Amino acid sequence: MSNIKIKSKNLNVYYGDKQALFDVNLDLNEKEVTALIGPSGCGKSTFIRCINRMNDVIDICKVTGNIEMDGMNINDKDLDVVSLRERVGMVFQKPNPFPKSIYDNISYGPKIHGKGETKSELDQIVENSLKKSALWEEVKDRLDEPGTSLSGGQQQRLCIARAISVNPEVILMDEPCSALDPIATAKIEELIDELKKTYTIVIVTHSMAQAVRVSQKTGFFHLGKLIEVGKTEKIFKNPDNKMTQDYITGRFG
Amino acid sequence: MTKEERLKKRHQAEKRFRFYGLTSIFVALLFVVILVQNIFSKGSSAFKKTVITTEVFFDQELLEIQNGASQEEIMEADFYDIMIENLIKAYPAKDRDEEDELLKLFSGDAEIEIKKAFLNDNNLIGKTITLDLTASDDIDQLHKGNYPRDLPEERRRISDFQLVIYDYFVENKKISKNFNNYFFNNGDSRDPELAGIGGALVGSFYSILICLLLAFPVAVLASIYLEEFAPKNKITDFIEININNLAAVPSIVYGLLALQILLATIQLPRSTPLVAGITLALMTLPRIIIPCRASLKAVPPSIREGALAVGASKFQSVFHHVVPLALPGTLSGTIIGLAQALGETAPLILIGMVAFVVDIPSSPVDPSSSLPVQVYLWSESAERGFVEKTSATIMMLLSFLIVMNFIAVYLRQKFEKRWN
Repeated sequence: MSNIKIKSKNLNVYYGDKQALFDVNLDLNEKEVTALIGPSGCGKSTFIRCINRMNDVIDICKVTGNIEMDGMNINDKDLDVVSLRERVGMVFQKPNPFPKSIYDNISYGPKIHGKGETKSELDQIVENSLKKSALWEEVKDRLDEPGTSLSGGQQQRLCIARAISVNPEVILMDEPCSALDPIATAKIEELIDELKKTYTIVIVTHSMAQAVRVSQKTGFFHLGKLIEVGKTEKIFKNPDNKMTQDYITGRFG
Repeated sequence: MTKEERLKKRHQAEKRFRFYGLTSIFVALLFVVILVQNIFSKGSSAFKKTVITTEVFFDQELLEIQNGASQEEIMEADFYDIMIENLIKAYPAKDRDEEDELLKLFSGDAEIEIKKAFLNDNNLIGKTITLDLTASDDIDQLHKGNYPRDLPEERRRISDFQLVIYDYFVENKKISKNFNNYFFNNGDSRDPELAGIGGALVGSFYSILICLLLAFPVAVLASIYLEEFAPKNKITDFIEININNLAAVPSIVYGLLALQILLATIQLPRSTPLVAGITLALMTLPRIIIPCRASLKAVPPSIREGALAVGASKFQSVFHHVVPLALPGTLSGTIIGLAQALGETAPLILIGMVAFVVDIPSSPVDPSSSLPVQVYLWSESAERGFVEKTSATIMMLLSFLIVMNFIAVYLRQKFEKRWN
C-alpha cells in the first residue's frame, strides 16, 4: 500500500445556497493515478479544485471540512495559496496556453517562483519540462513561436509541461482529453503513465475506458456525493454499489 | 395554407428585409455624401489665399533705420510710410480717394508682411523687391468666385472702382492664389483673410493631452480594480450602474460642474486648455472605463486560471496576463473617447473658451480656443470669408477624428491576440 498524499475528511462545498459536495472522504495515494468519474455536475471538478484552492476564485464558494496534504491543512485560511499551487499543479479541460511563446509559457512559473535565476537555468527547466511532457522533439526548434499556434494535443501537452515546470508534487487534471482527438488522447494517456512515477496525479474523466487505462484508483461521484471508491479494477469489474454498476455500464449519466 | 405558400411567404419576408436593410444603408450613405460634399465644396477654397504681386521699393527717406539694422530695431521701426508709398503705385490712381480705395484691396497686415521681408534680408534699403501681399477678404472672396459682382453697387462691399482695379490686376497677372499659411499659423482675427486655426489647434492639442494624462491612468486603474479585484456586491453594482449613467450625462452638465468647481471655487484660469482638459477628462472617464472593462471581461477566464494554477498571485495573473491582453481594446477605447472629447463643444463654451483669443497659447494656462469652439465662433460671423474658414476647420476636425478612429481600429486588429 502506497503512502497517502492527500486526505479529505467531511469535505463540503457550497456555491451560495447550493451545496455541491457532501461530506466527501477521499484519500489519494502518492505516485499513483486516481481517476474521478461520474455524470456531469456531480462535483468531480469541484473536488479537485479544492486541492489547489482554485475555488477561491469564485466569490460565492464556501468550503468546509478538512483536506490535508502531507498533514498540512489545505483549507487553512492563513495558508499561502501561491506556495500551495506551486506544489499542486493543474491542467484544465480546454488547453489554455498563454498567448505567448512556447518558451515563455513554460518559463513563466519558474520565473515567478524564483526558480531558475539565470538564463541557462531557465533554458534547462524549459527543456526538461518539455521532455517530460513528450513535446521537446516536436517544438525544440520553434520555442519562440506562440503556444497558441500548436495543435490541440500539443497545446495540452504544453499545459502539462507548464504545470511540471514548477516541479509540483501533485498534478490535477480536469478532463484533460475532452477537447482532443483519439491520437492526441493516446499520447496524453501515455504521458500520464510516465508522469505517475514522479507525481501524484488526479484525473477527472468522462471516459470509462480512459479511467481503466490510466488509473490505479477510481472514485465515483454522484450528485455531490462520493458513492464508491476503490481500486480501479474492482470498481469496473465488481462494484459494491448498484449506482456505480449502472453508471459504468452506461445505464445513466 | 399549403406548404408551398408558406415557403413562398418566408422567402418574400427575407427579400423584404434585405430591401429594408439596403435602403437604410443607402439613405445613411447619402446623408454622409451630402454632408462631406457640402463641407468640401465650401471649405476647400480656404486652404488658398489670394495674393497681389506688388513691387516694394525700400526708400531710405521713408525709413528711420539703416541697412544691417538689428532685429529689434526693425521690429520697432515704422513701415507704414513704405507700405503706403508702394501700394499706391500698384495702380495708377488719379487722386487721394482713388488711392484710399486701392489701399482697401490689401489686407490689414500688408505693413507687417513688408516688415517681415526686411527681417529676412536687412540689406534691402535702396533696392526693389517683388512681394506677394495678402489681399483683403473682399478681393479674396471675389477672386475665388464666392462673391457675386453683378449686384448693384450699393449692395456690394466692393465699389465699382475697386472692381476696375481688380480687373486691371487680373489683366496684368498681378493677382494669384497661394497656399494659405495664415490659416494654419495664425490665431483668430477679426479679418477673415488673416484668421487661422493655429491657436485652436494648439489649444485643442493641450486640452486633449491633459485629458489623456488625467483620464487614461485613472480609467485604466479603476477598470482593472472593478473588473478583477473588487468583490461583487451591492456597492460595486451601484458603482457600475453609475459609471454607465455618467457616460450618458449630457456634456454641458460637465461644463456647469467645471464652471462651479474649477473656475468659481478653485479659481483656475478661465478659457484655458488646463480647465478644458480637466473638464473633458471628467467627461471622458466613464467613456474609457466602459470599453476598458469590456476588454478585460473579454479575456477568457482560462487565462487567469492558467496563471493562478502555476502559482501566480492574483496581482501577477492580472498584470502579467490579463492586462497585456486587454491593452489593445483599452487603447482603442481610449482613443475613441479622446476623439469624442476632441469634438466636444458645449462644456468648453461654459468654461469661457469662446473668448476671442488672437495669440497662440504657449502653455496650457494661456487663454485659448479649440477646434470645435472655433467652428462655433466662425459660423456666427457675418463675413463671407468665415464661411469657408468654418468648413475648412470642420474638415481639419473631421480628419483628426478619422485618423484617431483609424488608429483605434488598427490597434485593435493588429495587436488583439486570439486564443485557441
